Amino acid sequence: MKRVKIILAASLAFAQPASAQDAFKPEQVRSGSETYARHCAPCHGPRLADPEGAPDLRKFPRDQRERFLTSVSKGKNSMPPWGDLLRPDEIEALWAYVATDGKN
Amino acid sequence: MGKLSPGTVLFAACAAVAHAQTQEELLHDGNGGSTDNVLTYGMGYHQQRYSPLKQINKNTVKRLVPVWALSLANEVGEQGQPLVYNGVMYVSNVRQTVAIDIATGRQIWATPIEWDPAAARVVCCGLSNRGVALYDGKVFVASIDAYLKALDAKTGKEIWKTKVAEWKEGYSITSAPTVVNGVLITGMTGGEYGVRGFLAGYHPATGSLLWRRYTTAGPGEKGHETWPAGDAYLRGGGSTWITGSYDPDLDLTYWGTSNGGPWDANWRPGDNLWVASVLALRPKTGQIVWHYQWTPAETYDYDGNNENVLADITVNGVKRKVLMHADRNGFLYVLDRTNGELLAGNPYVTVNWAERIDLATGRPVETQVAKRLRSGEKVELKPRWTGGKNWFPMAFNPNTGLLYFPMKEETAIYQINKERPAYKPGERYQGVENTTAPRAPGAAWGYYAALNPLTAKPKWRMPLVEFPMWSGMLATAGGLVFSGKLSGEFIAIDEDTGKIVWQFQTSSGINAQPITYTHNGRQYVTVLSGLGGGTSAKRETAGKIQPGGSVWTFALMPD
Repeated sequence: MKRVKIILAASLAFAQPASAQDAFKPEQVRSGSETYARHCAPCHGPRLADPEGAPDLRKFPRDQRERFLTSVSKGKNSMPPWGDLLRPDEIEALWAYVATDGKN
Repeated sequence: MGKLSPGTVLFAACAAVAHAQTQEELLHDGNGGSTDNVLTYGMGYHQQRYSPLKQINKNTVKRLVPVWALSLANEVGEQGQPLVYNGVMYVSNVRQTVAIDIATGRQIWATPIEWDPAAARVVCCGLSNRGVALYDGKVFVASIDAYLKALDAKTGKEIWKTKVAEWKEGYSITSAPTVVNGVLITGMTGGEYGVRGFLAGYHPATGSLLWRRYTTAGPGEKGHETWPAGDAYLRGGGSTWITGSYDPDLDLTYWGTSNGGPWDANWRPGDNLWVASVLALRPKTGQIVWHYQWTPAETYDYDGNNENVLADITVNGVKRKVLMHADRNGFLYVLDRTNGELLAGNPYVTVNWAERIDLATGRPVETQVAKRLRSGEKVELKPRWTGGKNWFPMAFNPNTGLLYFPMKEETAIYQINKERPAYKPGERYQGVENTTAPRAPGAAWGYYAALNPLTAKPKWRMPLVEFPMWSGMLATAGGLVFSGKLSGEFIAIDEDTGKIVWQFQTSSGINAQPITYTHNGRQYVTVLSGLGGGTSAKRETAGKIQPGGSVWTFALMPD
């Protein structure tokens, strides 16, 4: 939780996608890609491309990390909540994957 | 109770009938019964979705106007088919069941359907509820979290509630229940989550379980030899997410089964009975009398759930009791419904995974594309996994002998993963990466067509250019076929020419199932409007259509 707060503070302080990107570790992005492939790809599209009805996450604003974490955790519109299945660090890793387009 | 005049007794008897709809009425629904009622999913146990009504016809349709609309306060989509009994319409979506006064369009009662939002995780492809069943004064409705409920048809109050399965293990229900031969039957869904498919029969009065019939053959059952040793059959899929049809003379109910689990069939070598099949069962016991497998060793996500339409048609000069089915796998099948014998199986869209269905063996002859796909190569697959036709039901007009339905011509890029998919209860169990091949700009998504069931040859075809269609069909004796577009137009099509002769723009996209009926001698047509319920429709309309559910009812404007 402390780590989450630090990253959040960093994002708020700089609000720069590049700064946020620097904070992501390759292992985190890789872990996020695995969670994404299992739970998210069926609706949001394999490897972030070709979504099947759900929003295109390549267009998700990179300065809205908090909104991403909340939406995944609590659900949004047709998307169910994932907070009781995925740990906070797994959702954080998902954000790392999405925010870097899986390229880190 | 004092002295009663004969008139009072008669009145009392009628009042009882008015609120306690019977098995006899179910038998005659869409089959010579009162056109004031629509009592079954499919407008008759045969699911022909054909009405003898012709007040609205090619000449009068220009006077067809909306007479009322009612919001359903639901943004995730409407796929349901309303039922009608004695001037009351019963409508459901994933959020609520609503009773409506047909004469005014006003709500009589509305009962919320509550479920844990997390249960939406086990609904693969869109939050949907396709309708209710009516029997003996009760409205039966299922929920996303796999409960089945009975409501009082007069008040909407819950009479009983039973848990059909555990959503946390991947089970959900999106289909309308049905009552046949006195038994309340429900299917289930979850083929993307490693479930073991089943049908369940309940006592309509109490909700007590009468039987449960699994759709993957277990140890000791004939068909178990089509599964590998071990417990693959316990996670083998074969869900039952479209309401079955019923032949009361044969006392058989016909249900399709879904794709196998995981999607990659290499982890469950064999034909995998009774996945991607049709089952003919006894409604009293759930006993399987015969089966036919559309796609043996199914690995393409070609669910075999599409509706099984019953009719008596002439085949090679002989009148046969048949079952007609347009499968996701691209073939249109005609079976003898007394025994499951294959009478015809022809492609109705471009198919590249199988050359043909061998009439001698009853099996598809797979192509090199299928072999390459099974070996792990990335291939272009036709039809796309969503099928040449998906769940939206076709109509059969016994006068023309033709089937009417929209079809899709999309191509998938499909590759099975190298790694064995890990099974965790309630989580995806697929093991495939699937995307969509780009379409040429302006290319049709598919066609809306009138087809000969025995040849799959079209009498006419209408290209679907802007969006594909996801609405059910309704054929009428007025020479019109009704349907809806994802862009929201409710349409009437001339059954002879395939031309749209009337349309009205409703409030959202239509991906539901129109019905027609009479009230005080006037013919009405009703359809739900509300984009969604299936995720593909959102992809295809790309943000151009607003969601939001409503009921729309039409009738002829008086002279």
